[in-house]
Amino acid sequence: MKTVFPAWSDTAFRVALVGGVLAVTAVVVGPMIYVRTPFHQKREYPLDQPVQFDHRHHVRDDGIDCLYCHSGARKTPYAGIPATEVCMGCHAQVWPDSVQLEPVRRSYFSGEPLRWSRVHDLPDYVYFNHSAHVNKGVGCVTCHGRVDRMALDYQVASLAMGWCLDCHRSPEKNLRPLSEVTSMTWQPPPGRAGDALARKLAAQYRVRHLTDCTTCHR
Amino acid sequence: MDDGAKLVQLRTRRNEPRLWRDADELVHGLAAGGPEFSEDGAPDGWSRRTFMKLLGASVALAALDGCDRTVPEEIVPYSVRPTDVQPGVPRWYATAMMLDGFASGLLVECHEGRPTKVEGNPDHPASRGATTIFEQALVLGLYDPDRLRGVEHEGAPSTWEALAERLRRPRADRGAGLRLLLPPTTSPTMLRLVERARQVHPALAVTFHQAMPAVENSVAGARVAFGRELQPIYDFAAADVVVVIDADPLCDAPMAPAYARAWAARRRIGEPSQTPSRLYAVECAPSVTGMCADHRLRRRSSDVAEVLRAIAGDIASLPAAVRFGAPVADRFSRAVAHDLLARPAGTTLVVVGERQPPAVHALGFAINAALGNVGRTVRFIDALLPAGDRDLGALVAEMRDGKVDTLVTVDGNPVYDAPADLELGRALGSVADRIYVGLHANETARASSWAAPLAHAFESWGDGRAYDGTLSLIQPMIQPLHGGRTPSEILALLGGERHPDARRLVVETHGTGFDVDAALAAGVVPGSAAPPVTPAAPDAAAIARSLLTLPRPIDGTIEINFRRSPTVHDGRFANNGWLLEQPQPTTKLTWDNAVLVSPATAARLRVHTQDLVEVELDGRRVRGPIFVTPGHADYAVTLDLGWGRQGAESLARGRGFDAYRVRTTRSPAFGSGRVSRAGGTRELAMTQRQFDMHGRPIALTTTLDEFRRDPDFTDDYKGPEPSLMPAVKYEGLQWAMSIDLSICTGCSSCMVACQAENNVPIVGKEGVLHRRQMHWLRIDSYFEGSLEDPGVVHQPMLCQHCETAPCEYVCPVNATVHSSDGLNEMIYNRCVGTRFCSNNCPYKVRRFNWFNWHKRVPANAGAAALQHNPDVTVRDRGVMEKCSYCVQRIRRADIHANNEGRDIKPGEVVTACQQACPTGAIQFASLSHADSPMVKWRGEKRAYAVLNDQGTRPRTMYLARLTNPNPALAADHERAEQK
Repeated sequence: MKTVFPAWSDTAFRVALVGGVLAVTAVVVGPMIYVRTPFHQKREYPLDQPVQFDHRHHVRDDGIDCLYCHSGARKTPYAGIPATEVCMGCHAQVWPDSVQLEPVRRSYFSGEPLRWSRVHDLPDYVYFNHSAHVNKGVGCVTCHGRVDRMALDYQVASLAMGWCLDCHRSPEKNLRPLSEVTSMTWQPPPGRAGDALARKLAAQYRVRHLTDCTTCHR
Repeated sequence: MDDGAKLVQLRTRRNEPRLWRDADELVHGLAAGGPEFSEDGAPDGWSRRTFMKLLGASVALAALDGCDRTVPEEIVPYSVRPTDVQPGVPRWYATAMMLDGFASGLLVECHEGRPTKVEGNPDHPASRGATTIFEQALVLGLYDPDRLRGVEHEGAPSTWEALAERLRRPRADRGAGLRLLLPPTTSPTMLRLVERARQVHPALAVTFHQAMPAVENSVAGARVAFGRELQPIYDFAAADVVVVIDADPLCDAPMAPAYARAWAARRRIGEPSQTPSRLYAVECAPSVTGMCADHRLRRRSSDVAEVLRAIAGDIASLPAAVRFGAPVADRFSRAVAHDLLARPAGTTLVVVGERQPPAVHALGFAINAALGNVGRTVRFIDALLPAGDRDLGALVAEMRDGKVDTLVTVDGNPVYDAPADLELGRALGSVADRIYVGLHANETARASSWAAPLAHAFESWGDGRAYDGTLSLIQPMIQPLHGGRTPSEILALLGGERHPDARRLVVETHGTGFDVDAALAAGVVPGSAAPPVTPAAPDAAAIARSLLTLPRPIDGTIEINFRRSPTVHDGRFANNGWLLEQPQPTTKLTWDNAVLVSPATAARLRVHTQDLVEVELDGRRVRGPIFVTPGHADYAVTLDLGWGRQGAESLARGRGFDAYRVRTTRSPAFGSGRVSRAGGTRELAMTQRQFDMHGRPIALTTTLDEFRRDPDFTDDYKGPEPSLMPAVKYEGLQWAMSIDLSICTGCSSCMVACQAENNVPIVGKEGVLHRRQMHWLRIDSYFEGSLEDPGVVHQPMLCQHCETAPCEYVCPVNATVHSSDGLNEMIYNRCVGTRFCSNNCPYKVRRFNWFNWHKRVPANAGAAALQHNPDVTVRDRGVMEKCSYCVQRIRRADIHANNEGRDIKPGEVVTACQQACPTGAIQFASLSHADSPMVKWRGEKRAYAVLNDQGTRPRTMYLARLTNPNPALAADHERAEQK
């Protein structure tokens, strides 16, 4: 009797079966992988900026403290990009004729602000407060990475909600003395001493485990 | 026993009056409830197949909607950072708002130089930290897209230089042809500059015009009674019995928030042994104060004077001349008179409203004097508002005679709101140069040859006096958005000054010894209140003479009443979306005005709500829809002024009907006219029928006697019901709210405050008709008793933050969850819009974004977005939202306190509604703040939880409304109930 299906149809069916399962898996898993890629999270690649500002030079070579320019971090929600007058505080004397600093001078004398590209861009429904973290002993480097090694600034952390929650659930491991908040190189003492210091700091700074949704979303 | 039977039994035992929401419900037993929560389920005419198709399509489209392009963002720092401005940290500036010529002190919240929210200044005598809806909505008016945007001359763009040159132009006629038309003002700078303009133009004449003045008749009444122009200031906190005659001191008066606070202080009681004050009201249309009264007598406005005369007739200490000819007292006036006389001297108060003629005020002052109230519950100061050189009628006559060649109008909208018989618009035709400097492209701007933008209050330097004379400075928070100039600058130009500067003009007014910085920092100048005046004994003969001039009560015809709109005032706020969508306190009408009429008169006229009628007064006619208003006097209708605008303002234009068209100088507040059916209807957007008690104990009310007899009457409505949910741990801060219905006047300040604080959009009339308004906080008003003479319970209804919240366990995506400090959190970015939570919420306080209102309704977009609070997410389409207990304020205080290494102190977190509430009926704190009023109130006998039997364990507790009726009149009440 003549068969209805040719012999290869079994194979085709199996391939289709496996392919279908894979396709469905890919549709579900693919985006999940994609949103975790540095590309999607915009990690590790610098953005174009109006001025070729070099953190390496200012932080490492000149030893300027983070809070000198980002003075809002300790007291206000926003760390803040310095006003042009802060740049000119030094650059009126240092490199006053530099071509690279032309936009800065133009901004200062015309009153037109510089328009920087936002590197750490949280969604609009997230209310992040710098002062609440800085005053609890969370270091700049913890979220922003080794800024002292960056030419143009780029994002290091994923800034995904899971990353935030990891720390909000157990913040102790990311605490440091307030005097070391802006340090790029501070390391906790190794082993038990580090754990003890973490516990001591958490108690001293009244660090809580805030995981209520409205801590960040309002 | 099932719950329903239990409730019925409870209600019978308590003998609670039946509460109802509107006339149809009481008469026909019609339950409210509309398309949003209809009981028959799916809309008609849809097959299951169609439904599935649409469902599939919606899911597919919803998925598409999720695809969003991320827009790269910029950070734009200052070039030179202004001192004191820190990005992300709001600043508050003390300033004042001028309304009806008087200042009320404000604190304006600014984010990076952008005013976003208004609070009352606690140090200001007229606000005491609270606000009315007008002050709350002022900030939206700043960003009004229909403000005048540039100087125009004869319809063509012009410049301020050209107008300044025109204003400064020397005149050969000493100013004889120059007229100045201003709103009444107490501003020392304005008055000084008027005088300076007069030095340059000695023959200049000034007219102060306001459609419905705030104190004119009481000052005139004082002139009759005391022979001196005085204005009364009331002390409600010292009054055990208050008789309000056609007045609304708790909501619509220059010191309303302060009055309301004082009244509440004497009205609220904690223990049954205490006695609250008693409030009587006599009025035509239900007002906010009237609806709070223990006894409210509805009378036509022309009959109100008779009631007061009857009361006066029983007060033996009044001079015989004043009592002469008083009508025979009925039960009400006799009971009131006896109640007044039974109290110690100086503990009662009679307040007469501005709609009544001066003679009635004079009589009121005489009664207050006879009862020993002068100097105690009523003080007098010299009248603050100056009289002009001409009244508006004389000015128009001059204009018609061609004696005026230049009319300078600053602020106001006289072409729209002048009495119709003056025909100001036509008279303007004989004036060559009509210069108008105002906020809006309104009727007056259109009728003027020059139209120029006025600076908004938040863009201006200025000054003004509160109703008690206290001086405040007005300071700008923002540069004029549309290049506006202040009224003082216009006057200075008229006075010949070349480059007037508003700040310098203010400083010059107050001289060199004046500490401007201190006055700006405090918002008030200490000790600047007017000294009290002790008036002579009332002149009985003069009062008696003036009483003879009272118009005879109107017989046979229908009385036409005018009042300022509760939401758009005299029309000046008619382009403010928040106020247009604000349910009017006593009618719950939005986006329209109506012809208010009592049920009996409506039946006689054979009309129903929404039927169009024609109202005729002195041969002038206007057409408007009927609104059957329980509690309105019979044979009378009330028209709200301020609607039916014909200017270029996009929101105001054509809303409602213009009652000014029938209002004449002869009948400024009421007159005798006719009402006839006009055929046709106009759909009205009312929120009153959208929520219903369905016979459940939601708003509780009791009388003082019943309360003393049965102080534990709320016991069945509180205390935890058994629950399967995990127990709540009362650790740390646990936020909660207590609301006392006894002192809630229903004024609705809280609603606008909530809207301003939480970026709540307006939805337009169509949206309200579909019951889609987004207010997080609404005020449910339940009527009590008969249709003709109802009492009312106002109940602010907001998310109750239930400890075992029914919304939380039906959310499939955990978008609404409970926080450790007791908040019911709504997380917009998680919400997928199933609306299960709303369906499961017994309080119906969740509002769904059917559209992206911020884009769909133009009034929410554009410049109005500048008002947004940056600390609150602007919600997009498809998410649920609701009251958050102002979580952004809690978190701000929390971060601030923690940065200082301490806990939040009691009183540090104040919700927007609590802050705005004039009576302090809303209290918010943590349950751990044991000394706070919030916690103390919950322990009181009257406290109860709404729908406690549902086991929701709400964090918001209410205190049952308590009235203090006069036992002598209580029988009336019961009879009315039996009807």
